Amino acid sequence: MLRRLLVARLVDLAVVLAAVSVIVFAMIRLIPGDAVAIMLGANTEVTPAAIAALRAQIGLDQPIYVQYFGWMSKVLQGDLGISLWTGKPVAGEILVHVWPTVQLTVLALVLGAGLAVPAGCLMARWRGGAADAAMRVATVAGLTIPSFWLGIVMILVLATVAPSLQLLGYVPFSVDPVGNITRLALPAFALGLPILANLSRLVRSAMLDALGQDYIRTARAKGVPERSVVYRHALRNALIPFVTSVGIMTGYLLGGAIVVEQVFAIPGLGRLILGAIAERNYPLLQATILMVTLGFVVVNFVVDLLYLAIDPRVRA
Amino acid sequence: MRAGQRLLWFAVALVVLQVLVAGFAEWVAPYDPVAQDIMARMKGPTAAHWLGTDQFGRDVLSRIIHGSRTSLFVSALAVGVALVAGGTLGLVAAYYRGWTDRIVMRAMDVLFAFPVMLLAIGVVAVLGPRQETAAVAIAVVYTPIFARLLRGPALVICESDYVTGARAAGATDGRIIFLHVLPNLASVVLVQTSLLLSAAILVEASLSFLGLGTQPPTPSLGLMLSEGRNFLMLAPRPAVFSGVAILLLAFGLNLLGDALRDTLDPRLRGGH
Amino acid sequence: MARLSFRAMLLAGVLASGVASAPVAWGQVLEVAVDASPVGLDPHRATAFSTFQMINGTIYEGLTAIDKDLRVRPGLAESWTVSADGKTYTFKLRSGMTFHDGSKVEAADVVATINRVLSKEIASPLASRLATLDKAEAPDAGTAVLTLKEPTAPLLASVATIAIVPRSMEMEKDALQRAPIGTGPFKFKEWQANGFVALEKHAGYWRAGAPKLDGIKFNIVPESATRQVGLSSGQYAMLPNIDAATAMQLKGRPGVKLAETLELAYMFVGVNASKPPFNDARVRQAVNYALNRQEVIAAALFGAGVPGGPLSPALKDWATPVDQFACYKTDPARAQALLKEAGYTAPVAITINVLPRQDIRDMAQVVQAQLNKAGFKVELKNQELGQFIQDWRNSNFDMFASTNAGSPDPDDYFFRTFRTGGSTNVFKYSDTTLDGLLDGARTLQDQAARKAAYDKAQAILACDGPIMHIAYGQLFTAMRANVGGFEIIANRSLSTLADTAVAK
Repeated sequence: MLRRLLVARLVDLAVVLAAVSVIVFAMIRLIPGDAVAIMLGANTEVTPAAIAALRAQIGLDQPIYVQYFGWMSKVLQGDLGISLWTGKPVAGEILVHVWPTVQLTVLALVLGAGLAVPAGCLMARWRGGAADAAMRVATVAGLTIPSFWLGIVMILVLATVAPSLQLLGYVPFSVDPVGNITRLALPAFALGLPILANLSRLVRSAMLDALGQDYIRTARAKGVPERSVVYRHALRNALIPFVTSVGIMTGYLLGGAIVVEQVFAIPGLGRLILGAIAERNYPLLQATILMVTLGFVVVNFVVDLLYLAIDPRVRA
Repeated sequence: MRAGQRLLWFAVALVVLQVLVAGFAEWVAPYDPVAQDIMARMKGPTAAHWLGTDQFGRDVLSRIIHGSRTSLFVSALAVGVALVAGGTLGLVAAYYRGWTDRIVMRAMDVLFAFPVMLLAIGVVAVLGPRQETAAVAIAVVYTPIFARLLRGPALVICESDYVTGARAAGATDGRIIFLHVLPNLASVVLVQTSLLLSAAILVEASLSFLGLGTQPPTPSLGLMLSEGRNFLMLAPRPAVFSGVAILLLAFGLNLLGDALRDTLDPRLRGGH
Repeated sequence: MARLSFRAMLLAGVLASGVASAPVAWGQVLEVAVDASPVGLDPHRATAFSTFQMINGTIYEGLTAIDKDLRVRPGLAESWTVSADGKTYTFKLRSGMTFHDGSKVEAADVVATINRVLSKEIASPLASRLATLDKAEAPDAGTAVLTLKEPTAPLLASVATIAIVPRSMEMEKDALQRAPIGTGPFKFKEWQANGFVALEKHAGYWRAGAPKLDGIKFNIVPESATRQVGLSSGQYAMLPNIDAATAMQLKGRPGVKLAETLELAYMFVGVNASKPPFNDARVRQAVNYALNRQEVIAAALFGAGVPGGPLSPALKDWATPVDQFACYKTDPARAQALLKEAGYTAPVAITINVLPRQDIRDMAQVVQAQLNKAGFKVELKNQELGQFIQDWRNSNFDMFASTNAGSPDPDDYFFRTFRTGGSTNVFKYSDTTLDGLLDGARTLQDQAARKAAYDKAQAILACDGPIMHIAYGQLFTAMRANVGGFEIIANRSLSTLADTAVAK
């Protein structure tokens, strides 16, 4: 039963990915203005012959379906192509850019999830009071703060309060671990705030649910310390909605990262994608979007499976 | 009155106020939002200009009021289109089941497979950066959300006795869907529409911020923020206040959806 | 306890990074922040500005060079002679020069470079700068001879922009795009896409005492506020070629200084002279009367600029002062009258394509408001760069707002832009009187005679031409106060980084 379900899901997954690849490919070719124009610039002596030569060199003169199947057959063999500008393999470019983004999103997630537990517990404890309402309003505000705006305001404040701090840009962890973390702290906070808001509410309602259950009362009656009651029993209850949210949050984080990376000058996937669009770097752009989407789909797929594993009722 | 209900009324009041101000922008705003007065550029708050002027000497308050309208209009248009398209697809899938369901929902999966901003950026890149295309992009992104959202509960309702009964009595498919299935989904739709409107405000602002949405000189909150950040250190007001306006719009709608959910959906009332 | 120590560690980290911003010593790597990635590093193929500022005079050099006063001075050639008929240029190369790969720089490399630029395979946009070249020869290792089909006065300025590369690159299409090899004071080290381009000292550089720095790191930082904060905090030592808006915000900050010069580049609106309404010279004049250039300068350039005619006021030997152009006096009523005369009833609906750059977008918004007051009805089309360039190239516009780099020699700019059939005459402008003037001036060697011809050309172009020149902005470079030896150049070249040093 479970295996058949798994196979069906995998087939669906393959179909979705194939469709995604076609959409990505077509969408990119539909973007007006081509790579050649950008490379030559608006301010130079551009002749039709020069343009035609460059187009042929990049392979843009072939019919689009030929281009697509050529690309796909290479992708399936593990060759993502060559970046138009740097001439480097696209796979390498993606690898270089994936780490800052992964670090940023993980840090945002850890920050958000880590702070959400105490915040949610507090809200549950203060339930019904003015403090609860205030926290609730605060979480809604946290959910709806535009992260790029928050980033800019933080930079502005920083520049006024502590002009000599170096908290912008990116240094790899391997080069300077402390610098790496301090530089990612601000953007991770900007990105993680909505997650904090979202998760703390989850924790709150899960706690309230759990604290009303019989086994908790039993545990309390047995003299299990309050802290242990909360952490052992009640928090476990929050796991299911938490796992469900992770998929949604991955999508959010990725989208948010695109904008936040732009503000904080972090050379991650968002910068790679926006840059590739701006310069019409087709091989780089289509491979990056395909890979990002693949990652996103796989995360959601795993979440689905986890969900099945945690909560057998869903299988029905 | 319970705390939850007070919150609901507060949210309703906030949203209604914002919609009224934005809707009657011509009458509410003290100045023409595109009228330039270059000699009076980047001035601080005065009695004449409460929030000061921007780099063209335009009144920041008037631009924020008109910009709110742009944001609300684009978001409402996008969510409306997504609701109609996604809702129809979800209901059709749930009602007919089988292959129809499979094909429609797989197509939705494909759209859903893209991260929101990525798909929106892609759609705008193809159609060209304009206010309308930003709306289209957001609609495309939200269509699968409504389809999924409505399909689940609709499946349950379609199984229910009164739908089976109506079918047996010879009612047409369209009649059943609109008269029997849809009304039962009203509360889910209401809550989700409100929450997605809030999210759409943010997506629209992000797109405009990246230069992919509303175009100058039309006032737009994301665009004001984007233009204002170029002289943030000289005159922070346009950037800061437009951000606050975005926050307030999204905040009101989100709070509304949240409070509605508490009121309309007893299952989620949880610990109250 | 554990939590406490973690917090302490974080705090220590923050403090440590604060301390690390202390001024750097002599002979270190100069941290430069720029807004955009280069589009490749091949000097003959990637001609966009983002590439130019990174490679010109740093990695690559030409036979001649343009100095900070925009005058031609010796580059790789230490001297040259011009034949009496103006058709033969003989360049004598310096001795003892090496490329970054260690090979010697010889006349054969010059010939190979020129062949590379002219080859169909490479398809270099620079080829048109050598349009009148007949042949290039290397009679001996130290001498290069360029023979022209007809006298070409701006040749010496043109060859400054043709970077000399090793002869082994003549047929190589892609190698230089990612691994440039030149003769300049800095050699290429690493390019991390969207991160940085790093250059290091070229130990075998021909000029004694240069470069002073160990290297340059061009950090790619798209967000203006981030660049500003980075310079204020000392994380970056230089923000080159910034606009007035950024410069005004950095002015007076502790530890920051500004260098400025009048730009060779100009902001303008250009019109399509091949279709209504702008095929009528009166409508083009009407646009000029409608414009208020001072207002544009106030709003888009933060006051840091001057109104300009067809030639930059920076070119003191050539430019006609703007007060001599009748149509530069703002007069919306006159504009409306001209439109009426041309047979149009207000409002005349037009669309302006706008280059996606902040100062140009700002200018376009002001121009829109001004034209709307003078009988036009303007719609702005803010385009994405790729689309803008495509429409520009295909003459697919009523009017567009943009910027041009400008050139130190009037012929270089006028001929290709305004001559009937000129290579960048996307305006499809054609004026027989002007064509005659430009054709004639090309062949003149006498400075006074050339000046007289270009005076007449400017008089025609200022009011009737397809480009409404609006303003020449002040160009700024912001740097830390301890950066010395850098001179800003109006053509945006960073070649003086060769003599830049950072004091303790």
